[in-house]
Amino acid sequence: MKDKTFLIILALVTLAGIGITTALAIHGYRLWQSISIVEMIANWR
Amino acid sequence: MDKNKLVRQLGVIALVILIFAGLDMGIYHFFIKRVISHHSPGMQKMSVEVSNYVPFTGSQNIFSAKDAAKLEGEIPTIDGAAALLPMYAGFVESIYPSETVILKADGYAPESKMHYTNTRGAYKDIVDGKADIIICAQPSDEQLKYAKDNGVELEMVQIGSDAFVFIVNETNPVSDLTIDQIRGIYSGKITNWKELGGKNIPIAAMHRNKGSGSQTALEKLMGNEPIKPDYTTLFGSPIGFSFRYYVTGMLGEGGVKILKINGIEPTVQTIADGSYPVAGGVYAIYRKGEKNENVRKAIDFMLSPEGQKIVEQSGYIPVKSV
Repeated sequence: MKDKTFLIILALVTLAGIGITTALAIHGYRLWQSISIVEMIANWR
Repeated sequence: MDKNKLVRQLGVIALVILIFAGLDMGIYHFFIKRVISHHSPGMQKMSVEVSNYVPFTGSQNIFSAKDAAKLEGEIPTIDGAAALLPMYAGFVESIYPSETVILKADGYAPESKMHYTNTRGAYKDIVDGKADIIICAQPSDEQLKYAKDNGVELEMVQIGSDAFVFIVNETNPVSDLTIDQIRGIYSGKITNWKELGGKNIPIAAMHRNKGSGSQTALEKLMGNEPIKPDYTTLFGSPIGFSFRYYVTGMLGEGGVKILKINGIEPTVQTIADGSYPVAGGVYAIYRKGEKNENVRKAIDFMLSPEGQKIVEQSGYIPVKSV
């Protein structure tokens, strides 16, 4: 694989990873804001 | 040579994918899995099914006095703590004219005489004049300061009580703590369940927002002992706190266990006779010097046999025998 191709693939994979992780964290934060402490403890096994 | 380079390149790409996959799985396992609610969407503001406690809808969850005299004239706006909604929904259904309660798709209308916010919102609203009576636990020091800074003096009339309870996941083997142990946990002196007869796992001591009714109750329980912020909550086994009826009656939450305190289980009996050590008052609060005579009439109703019966039927402990 040419270096340029490799770097492009690596950049795309990294960007996709950052995007998915950020979206997951934002989704979790929104869920966290709307849940009660009681329900959170019930889920927390 | 080229083959080795290709293997290294593919290895680097695979490693990056694995790092992100691990990170995402960690976020899911330690965070998202714990905050997914199974309560109905749109009704999770306090994780209470608010629709179960809307007056004048024939809800079986609201207990009211059918023959009580309705208020006439200037109807006071009532609000309160999330944990006390069943109680004040019962008062409203008993003595408020039905047309004064206006619920829209996104909540109670600004012109409605019943609102439903939470302890923090209710204390702010009574000082700001947006509510005339609030049904809450005791105010925090900050809430009293906010009232003082705005030249408002609050009158508090106790109309019932409930227990301040500590909860853990039902799988936690610990069932009983002393008040000193609770103070030890929240001051950061006790950090592992092993020290309390449980598993060798850190204690994730969970907090509420400052100014919430239960956070204020914790601050009062701690006295002069500072509450240590907990930055390790993701990795331990949790302990949290709330009010008894909020856990047992309103959420009906399976999966949690209410702890005994000093060997005493919080029941109606032990709260009423004072043997459960951390019971808390429920108050009707209004502005001192309030001119609207319906405020006093409403509170008189809350303290009447009919009102106290509503307190009891709604799951709380009345201050007068019914």
